[in-house]
Amino acid sequence: MSICELKNVCRTYGSGAGKVEALKHVSLTIEPGEFTVLCGPSGSGKTTLLNQVGLLDVPDEGTLSVDGQLVGGLSSGELSKVRGQKIGFIFQSFNLIPVLTAVENVELALQLAGREGGERVAAEAVLEQVGLAGLGHRRPNELSGGQQQRVAIARALVKKPLLVIADEPTANLDSENGEAVLSTMQRLNREFGTTFVFSSHDAMVVAHARRVVTLRDGAIVSDERRAATS
Amino acid sequence: MNLIARLALKNLTRNRRRTALTMISIIAGIGIMIVGQAFIAGTEENIFVSAEEGVVGHVLARPEGYPSQGLNAPLDRLLTIGPEARALLDAQTVAWTGRVQFAPTAVHGAESVRVRAFGYEPDRDPRVFSRERWSIDGRYPNPEADEVTVSRSVARLLQLKPGDRFVLQVRTHHGALNALEVAVSGILTTGNTALDGLGLFAPMALTTRLTGADAPTHLSVKLARRALATDFKPRLLAVLQGAEVSTVQEETAELISLQAVRRKSLDVLVFILLALAAFGMANTFLMAAYERTREVGTLRAMGMTEGSVTALFVTEGSIVGLVGSLLGAAWGSALALWWSVHPLDISEALQRSGTTGSGTSMAFSALIYTAFDPAVAGLGVALGLAVAMASSWYPARVASALRPSDAVRA
Repeated sequence: MSICELKNVCRTYGSGAGKVEALKHVSLTIEPGEFTVLCGPSGSGKTTLLNQVGLLDVPDEGTLSVDGQLVGGLSSGELSKVRGQKIGFIFQSFNLIPVLTAVENVELALQLAGREGGERVAAEAVLEQVGLAGLGHRRPNELSGGQQQRVAIARALVKKPLLVIADEPTANLDSENGEAVLSTMQRLNREFGTTFVFSSHDAMVVAHARRVVTLRDGAIVSDERRAATS
Repeated sequence: MNLIARLALKNLTRNRRRTALTMISIIAGIGIMIVGQAFIAGTEENIFVSAEEGVVGHVLARPEGYPSQGLNAPLDRLLTIGPEARALLDAQTVAWTGRVQFAPTAVHGAESVRVRAFGYEPDRDPRVFSRERWSIDGRYPNPEADEVTVSRSVARLLQLKPGDRFVLQVRTHHGALNALEVAVSGILTTGNTALDGLGLFAPMALTTRLTGADAPTHLSVKLARRALATDFKPRLLAVLQGAEVSTVQEETAELISLQAVRRKSLDVLVFILLALAAFGMANTFLMAAYERTREVGTLRAMGMTEGSVTALFVTEGSIVGLVGSLLGAAWGSALALWWSVHPLDISEALQRSGTTGSGTSMAFSALIYTAFDPAVAGLGVALGLAVAMASSWYPARVASALRPSDAVRA
């Protein structure tokens, strides 16, 4: 069973002369264990598509299912529950909660997923997996950009989601940190079979992907699968 | 601890100065409410106690049509306390006493002034009217001698001191003019405006010789407690011929009605303060909601529901409201309690301004104090909390209504 399936999804913003068709009849299936990058020029619909896949937005037309469940008729609360339990997010600007320490940020994901007991141990273990052992007590402003993004990866992965959505995860990092973050994501994909879908402009990121979906003007213009890279 | 409460607490610590400033209006509002209510309750109690301990007791009887205001104290009408009345008074009261109120002219050398005189029964009077707060420069009069006490204002106007002699001139019960030279045994301060103004106390034997009055103009009754006055009044009325009887509640009704105006004024002041607090809090939390748009979006992306976002902001408001209200209740209660045992003595100021005892039976103590009621403090905390929750509701709804897809990239 596919992780996520979009059929003929359309998304339009605005109306009249200001109407923008951000997605035009997009169909896409994400299979378990995939490491997929969405690429394309600015305004091509990458972020809009990620929003749909991540259930942060709902389509105007078409159907979307996650883990075999059609999400079209779900309420806002039910969508929150699906996000909390099945989808992890990594953002370009890290989006860590500034008043929480690294380990508390990671724990929060478990708590919002409704998991009780052992959150601290699980959070520390995942921080160790992303190379941040011993830094859990630091607040985001006490960490470098690369470290913050690795906390965000840990936060996304700690609840063992079906799918991790990453929007330009390396855009705010220098090349060294960007590569380290990408390597971490690749390793987790390889070792734990975590499914990643992310958007990027970065050629280095695109080069690491095993599936490259290219968008232009709200439509998929190519969908290329590659052999696994080490 | 609950996740929402923990996050709310953490959020409140991110900008401690702003949180403290937001709290200040609640702290001030609730504190002022508690002190204000205690002041009004204290003033109300003061009015009752002053009347009870000054000129009324719990129940007061006087001849029908006798003036209750001013220095007009006619002696042509006296109370008749028959055997039936005495039996009732002895059996059903804690104490009772008669007084003769009259308004003689006091003359000392070239100075003269009309005073408000109380002829009293030396044995009975202190049992009805407590002398706990009275102080005397000199001594109380010898009941057998022609001695009186005068208030400070009379002593000042006539330049009298203990041991001095002066003349009292009065129209007697029979209509004749009479005058008697008396000695000042002491200068009396009661702390009660009705007695301290132009007051003079003369033992009943001297009063009778001076005025010819062989019965009192006023009868004051002390009961086990104030609340019994209403029930006792008709019983006394039934056994006193030609008398009008009133309770301490009726005697003080005019002053107590003024308290209602004060209470309303305080309510308006507290409403304005709490409205300002509410607007301030709503503004602060709305600002916080916009500042934390991306954070709210992230929480929503991670699975937090709209309801939980609302709850998060309302909880933050509630914590600010609860802590602010508790601090407000703490300083308000502390001040109200301290003031209740450390009265403010304004007798000097009243005497300087000439406000004291112009001859009215309405009395109030020159000691200003509060009466603290813990229930008011509890109400204040509940009110502060309610205001805070209400004022954080709109910002909470604004925050929870943010679309996650837009909010995460704000």
